Parts: sequence; structure tokens; C-alpha cells
Amino acid sequence: MRAQDLSGISFDSIIAEVNYDINLLYVVPCVYTRNMILNHLRDRISMVESVTKAIIQPGQLQPQPLPLQPGVTPIAEPPALQQPTTPGNQTTFTLQELSKYDGKGGNPAYVTVNGTVYDVTSNATWAAATHFGLTAGKDLSNEFVSCHAGESILSKLKVVGKLV
Amino acid sequence: MSNRSITCPEYKARLNTAANLLDTMKTQIRQGVLKKRNLVWLELTGCSGNIISLLDGSNPDFKYLISQMTNFIYNNSLSASEGEVAMEQLFSVLGSDYILAVEGAVTTKNNGLYNIIGRLNGKLVTAIEAVKTLGEKAAFVIAIGACATHGGVSAARPNPAECVSVQSVLNRKVIKLPGCPCHPDWFMGTLAHILLYGEPDLDRRDRPLLFYSTLIHDRCPRRSYFDKGIFAEKLGDKTCMFKLGCRGPVTRIDCPIRQWNQYVNWPIEDDTPCIGCAQFGFPDAMEPFISYNTTREVRR
Repeated sequence: MRAQDLSGISFDSIIAEVNYDINLLYVVPCVYTRNMILNHLRDRISMVESVTKAIIQPGQLQPQPLPLQPGVTPIAEPPALQQPTTPGNQTTFTLQELSKYDGKGGNPAYVTVNGTVYDVTSNATWAAATHFGLTAGKDLSNEFVSCHAGESILSKLKVVGKLV
Repeated sequence: MSNRSITCPEYKARLNTAANLLDTMKTQIRQGVLKKRNLVWLELTGCSGNIISLLDGSNPDFKYLISQMTNFIYNNSLSASEGEVAMEQLFSVLGSDYILAVEGAVTTKNNGLYNIIGRLNGKLVTAIEAVKTLGEKAAFVIAIGACATHGGVSAARPNPAECVSVQSVLNRKVIKLPGCPCHPDWFMGTLAHILLYGEPDLDRRDRPLLFYSTLIHDRCPRRSYFDKGIFAEKLGDKTCMFKLGCRGPVTRIDCPIRQWNQYVNWPIEDDTPCIGCAQFGFPDAMEPFISYNTTREVRR
């Protein structure tokens, strides 16, 4: 499927259909009807899959804008691609940005060690986003070395990005 | 022993670590196999909390400690003698075999002038002099409680008297029993082990593995709430207090099994987060003790 062929498809309507199907699945008691709905759902998902494949050419990280034809409403970007940096650890933080992630008032707790930013929000040793007098939202490279040098504990933490 | 019925063999074994040692010791004392050793209990800069905790011990009680297990030479709060006579009694152990127990931190400012423990031959004796003199010659040195093991509350910011741990002023092995206070069993069990078999197995920070091997978090009755992410929002909730700032995940000690006040209860069972009193660095490194604005669900 080429990108040009997709210009008439509205993602919004596909998402709306998917949501409708999911809602319906909750209330429909008949097993045959449910199978029909599931089939329809699978069909919509495969459509979304082929569209995203066509939009992202191999080797490209950024989605290509679709060529617009006169009189056609532009297609909304697929939601999964709106945050291209999330899965690939590409998110970057300055020290100032990092300081917001202090684990308080709804913000997650992030710390950085040697340039990598880790999520410690749910780490048991970081109760209330504090750890042996240290607080989240900071570069703790020196503190880490002074207590945990040679320990392979960083690999257990979720990486959320890099410090710049 | 406990108000709960314990069915798990591991818990039962752990709860009985001190009791088993003490039973063996009692038998050997009855048979006359085990000889009493001299015990000196030195109190430096602290709150006397550890000797008070020990007086609350029940298995065996303090009376058994001072009459059957040891020749209890000196304790500044409990000795019948006073003044220079008491100090002479204290320093009379030099040259004999004795075990030194120390509670409280060592003040170092102005050569220890902020803690004078008595007068000997007309001269003032500072705590730092006493612990150095008695510590170098003792068969074993046991640091009891947070202040003696790492400075604890006495060394908390801003630490005006420049308090340090017993280990900081002694160039020898010091067995460490951190806790604020130390549980009577931790001391009695360690002492029984010394009398029976010598030094117990210690971790790399010189804490007896008998008591300090496992994290509170790993034996916490509320652990399943942590694993499922169900967190208490306020004191009194019966779920995991991780988001309130519980220090159980960084504190190695057997409180969940042994419990306190003759094995009846402990902080978490009573809806108070663990404040890490048995961890090095307490209290400064364990603060804040309670937090209410910790992120529960991350905003996206």
C-alpha cells in the first residue's frame, strides 16, 4: 500500500470504529455476535498497521507528511506516532527539565547516572521519591559511584532518556 | 512467645534464633560448662534508650544477664556504687578478660570535652578516653544502637558536639547492632553466641547475620500490596506504606518476625511506616519519615 492510496482514509473514523467495537464487546452477550465484532476489530487494526507501515519507510524515524489532494481532509497522524521518542529512549533532558521529575504532585521520579535518565517512581528503595537523603530529579552520578560502584543494579531500572 | 500462631518454619526458625542460643547457653551454665565473663556497659552520648530496651527483655531477662551470664561490672545508670568508686570499678577490668558493650556516640569536639563520664584520681575522664582505653583491651567490642554504630541521632545535622561512631575511634573489629533502640534479643543473642562459640558471622558492615540478614520489605506482611501497587494514602490504611515513605525496603533487620515489647507488635503492624532506625545513616538519611504528596499515578 502506497502512502498516496491512503489519503482518503480518516484515522479518526477508524479509531471511532475501534472504540465502538470495544464498547459493544462489553455489553453483547451472544458469542457469535462477539466473534463478528472481534473480526471487525481485527480488520480495523490491520488497516491501521498497513497505514503506519506505508507512512514510515524503512530507516526513517520521522513520519512523512502525506501529499494532500485538493478537497481532501488531511489524515490525522496515527496516535502511536505522536510521541516518537517514547519507545527508543531518545527523550532528552536538560538538568533543569530533569528537576521537574521529583516524584511529587503527580510527576514521576527520575534520576540520572552517567548521562542516562532512569525512572525510580516505583522502585522500592525510593520510597516517597527519596533514597538515603537523596531526592529525585537530579544528577546522582557521583553519589551512585560512592555507594554502588561495581554493582549491576542500574540495569534493573527503566530507562526513560538521556541527559544533554 | 508470639501472639500470632506461626506456621511457616522459616519464620519460626528466625524468631527462635536468639531463644535457641540462649537455651543452649542456659543449659551449659546449669551444667557448669560455660564460664561467666565480665561485661562492661559503657554509655556515651545518647539517650540511655538501649539499656532501657534491654531492661524490657524477657528471654532471658536482665536479671539473668547480670547474675548468671556475666559479671556485670559497670553501667552508669544501674551501678549501685557512684562517683569515683564507680569509676574505679569501671577501670578495674583493665588487665582482665572482658566484653565491652557501648551505647551512645563518641563526642570529639574539643577533645571530647562535651561528654565527661566521671572523675578518676582527681582527673576528668572524657567518654572518648574511656572508650579508647577500654576498647583497645576488650576481648570483644559490641556497639549497641544507632549512635554507637554510626553516630545516629547524636550525630544528626548539625551535630554540634561532632559525634562519631565507636568504630571511628577504635582501630579494631567492632560488632555493630544498629537500631533505635537495639532489640533486647539482638544483644542477648549476640552475647550468647560470643559466650558459646565466639564471634557470630557478620556481614560486611559487621552486623550479625543472625538478625540483620533480611530486608524488612522481604518479610513484610503487607508485601503483596506493594507488588500489586496498592498503596496507603494516610496513616491507618492497612495497605503498603511505600508512598508515605516507608524505609522497610532499605532496612535489614528482623522486626516483622521478632516484633517488639516481648514480641507483641511492631511499627508496620501498627500502621506506622518503618523509619529505618536499624539502617546506617538514621535519622538524616532516612528522612523524611512521612510524605503525603508523593506521586501515585503518573500524569501522561
